[in-house]
Amino acid sequence: MTCPSRPHPQAAPAATLERSIARLLTVGTYASVAFLLVGVLLMLTRGIGPRSGGPAFDPANLVPDLVALRPEGFIWLGLLVVVATPAARVFAALIGYARQRDRVMVTVAALILFVIALSVMLARTLEA
Amino acid sequence: MIDGLLMIGGGIAAGLFGSLLGLGGGILIVPLLTLGFGLALIKAVGVSLVCVIVTSGAAAGVYLERRVANLRLGMTLELFTATGALVGGLVAFLLPERFLEVLFGGLLVYTAVTMARRRDPVPSATNRAGDGSAADDAPVEIQPPDAGADADPARSSLADRMSGPGYRVHRLGFGVIGSLFAGVVSALLGIGGGLVKVPVMHVVMGVPLRVATATSNLMIGITASASAIIYLLRGGIDPYVAAPTAIGVFLGASIGSRAAHRIDIRILRGLFVAILLYTAWQMLQRALG
Repeated sequence: MTCPSRPHPQAAPAATLERSIARLLTVGTYASVAFLLVGVLLMLTRGIGPRSGGPAFDPANLVPDLVALRPEGFIWLGLLVVVATPAARVFAALIGYARQRDRVMVTVAALILFVIALSVMLARTLEA
Repeated sequence: MIDGLLMIGGGIAAGLFGSLLGLGGGILIVPLLTLGFGLALIKAVGVSLVCVIVTSGAAAGVYLERRVANLRLGMTLELFTATGALVGGLVAFLLPERFLEVLFGGLLVYTAVTMARRRDPVPSATNRAGDGSAADDAPVEIQPPDAGADADPARSSLADRMSGPGYRVHRLGFGVIGSLFAGVVSALLGIGGGLVKVPVMHVVMGVPLRVATATSNLMIGITASASAIIYLLRGGIDPYVAAPTAIGVFLGASIGSRAAHRIDIRILRGLFVAILLYTAWQMLQRALG
């Protein structure tokens, strides 16, 4: 059984929003892979093996590590882009749905971001 | 240095197999790192979560661009997968390693049985996103509407918002429960959770299989990042292991998506079932000491 596709009044804005989010996901993914790749190449050139035990994440060391071309700097930056890209996608959706005045989806997006923020807070609290 | 190259090679194999057989790759990354490189399971799960976000990201972009993935449905359900993943990510650090190993062994057996019974491979996210195959341009299969499912007007309106061209979404409550469960499993075992989400969306909620697969892939990012953040901030991710593995898996998945239509999947599937069962045996032996 097939149903004919009906054009929805919000189809055009929805398509634009989905295209923007798609681009954001693609750029975020390739950027993260590029940072990780630089980190791996630096590991190989410096003879660092994966079983040598990498340093724990410390935000304060990120910029100095990048400036000093240490592999962990690029790897942590890549990993941060990896975990931040999906949240950025939800934030972009929140803005897009707000422009469309879709209150339900704005609420859903805001709640997802709240859950992500809660993950960060709980992980930091427990680690401390 | 040799270890680094071996890890990239192992990652390529995991990504290649995963994309050819319609799996995210997480199911192979964890055994690779625990049984192959001697990592603790919790560390392997953290790395695996990073890998599944990376491999799903590019594919999800393509799915959205082609308007195969259902963004509204995906976002609504991922609110619950993320909540489940938050709980799972916190609980994972409290559970004994052996318990998680037994759980993972059970997952491997379940996946092997599912694959052995499958007639045609479910096209994976990376598979279809990368090769631009005709499958993505094929018309969406239509499910017959279930007249009794949306009797309540409020739920009906919510379901209408999430429905797509030619299909209506039903039984959101089951979708919510399935998503919570998928999130917990994803965070505990480092997998994308498609094994749970796709059947729930397709069989229970009436979403066409192609849309369910694409939407599940889209949801992996938020689901896995909710728990990956916990692993990352609690020292559960080793950067020197995560980077070569993620690069390998990304390369393997990219190669697999382009080679999928040239390979006889039936032979590959038989080999894969044997590998899964052998890995399950090894994992359970490790768990039972």
